[in-house]
Amino acid sequence: MTLIRLVLPYLYAAVAIVAVWQATVTLTNAHVAILPPPALAAQTFIELVSTGELFVHIRASLSRVIAAWGLSALVAVPLGLAMGRWRRFENIVDPVVELFRPISPLAWIPLAILWFGISEAGKIFIIFVATFFPILLNTVSGVKGVDKVLIRAGQVLGCEDEWSLFRKVILPAAMPTIIVGFRIAFGTGWAAIIAAELVAAQSGLGYLIADGMEILRSDLVMVGMVVIGVLGVLIDSVFRVISKHHDWGT
Amino acid sequence: MMAQAPQSKEISIRQLAMTFESAEGESVEALHPIDLEIAAGEFVALVGPSGCGKSTILNILAGFLKPTGGQALVGGEPIKKPSIDRGVVFQDYALFPWLNIIDNVSFGLERMGVGKKERNEIAAEYLATVGLQEFERKKPSELSGGMKQRAAIARVFATDPSIILMDEPFGALDALTRRFLQHQLLEIWQKHKKTIIFVTHSVQEAVYLADRVLVMTARPGRIKMDNRIELPYPREFTTKGFRDHEKLIYDVLDEELAKSFDLESKGRFGD
Repeated sequence: MTLIRLVLPYLYAAVAIVAVWQATVTLTNAHVAILPPPALAAQTFIELVSTGELFVHIRASLSRVIAAWGLSALVAVPLGLAMGRWRRFENIVDPVVELFRPISPLAWIPLAILWFGISEAGKIFIIFVATFFPILLNTVSGVKGVDKVLIRAGQVLGCEDEWSLFRKVILPAAMPTIIVGFRIAFGTGWAAIIAAELVAAQSGLGYLIADGMEILRSDLVMVGMVVIGVLGVLIDSVFRVISKHHDWGT
Repeated sequence: MMAQAPQSKEISIRQLAMTFESAEGESVEALHPIDLEIAAGEFVALVGPSGCGKSTILNILAGFLKPTGGQALVGGEPIKKPSIDRGVVFQDYALFPWLNIIDNVSFGLERMGVGKKERNEIAAEYLATVGLQEFERKKPSELSGGMKQRAAIARVFATDPSIILMDEPFGALDALTRRFLQHQLLEIWQKHKKTIIFVTHSVQEAVYLADRVLVMTARPGRIKMDNRIELPYPREFTTKGFRDHEKLIYDVLDEELAKSFDLESKGRFGD
């Protein structure tokens, strides 16, 4: 029942989008290369599924995002914990972070190519840029938001050194906010695969879109876009389940 | 099985003083040098107008604040930093929301290195003492305010500290819950005879619970009255002896309240 209630709004949305899409095609009589009808996109989708090609692209994109996102977490969480806990450290690092933050992952493409060539590393680097800041900023605000009274309670219950206080009180108290950061970061990372796969990729959903553009196959472009959208929603709902598990309902 | 043999320690406060820097850079004397001796196992209540430094004394004893003058000794040892030997019950419970109730109560025991089986036994026993045995696996968010505070009291007694500091622990509770918890606290205290410092706004609560009620002056805080309550437990609010103590304390307090309102209207009130 709950599953149906969760899926139903998305089904309505999908039906509405397809209806508008079809109506636009019919009303404007658009050329198939400019706006393919939904039926053609569906047919292309089925072909890509049956040949297994689509799954190759999905796996390529997903593994890049997971690698970059994991790497971001490894760097951003410890950095964020330190920034949130030590004011002086934050005062030094924060201006650097703020200067880098407005620079879009797209802007890093030239340097990524220069530094990493056309290897996997360059693509992961671009997604890393996209996932790093949400995790960092949420970790910092999570740590800063820990109720002072919980820290005091920890201190009088045997967390007498900073490390045990961190492990037993600060980290678990900040966890829900950090998980929100993970979730947002996965979203921004997933959205950045287009940018990443513009860099001489041979696979991936971003590649599918870029390739479709070059060979004037807008149906491929549409399939790539739809799959990115649907998978984005699915992954986000997995995160929502996880964060609900970590939400202790204060 | 209870933890180690019950223990408690005496507290010596010598010329303890505290001066804060206000936001405007002005220095505000929160505590005028205070001398105070509290015997091991004594239940002392601190009452006084808001901002009189009751909580400051408690925070110094807990090790959260460093005094700007004098010192506080517990069992002859100067206080340097927070310690598990000085338990604290906070007004807003301060249970760890990510842990269930039994893990909250056994938190300190775990830090002391007590094994899982033993600490769960000890925690379960203290939870039973406060009537929460059915709620061991619940999260704090599933409990009412009164139940949370009972869990917090179980948590502080479970580690068997030498002294227990309570900062308006029942201040946020309704009158009936409050009465019930006062009664439970007395029962546990009589069993374990810990040294307790209890900050409260309620004169009735102070007279009901404590061996000694200390009345503090308006800022800068000083101890104006040291009222020993020799009524037998359990005490009745309605007896003459009880009412006499209340009256005595209110007389002193009223004077101080007037002064504290004076301070407030002069804008020197900064708590």
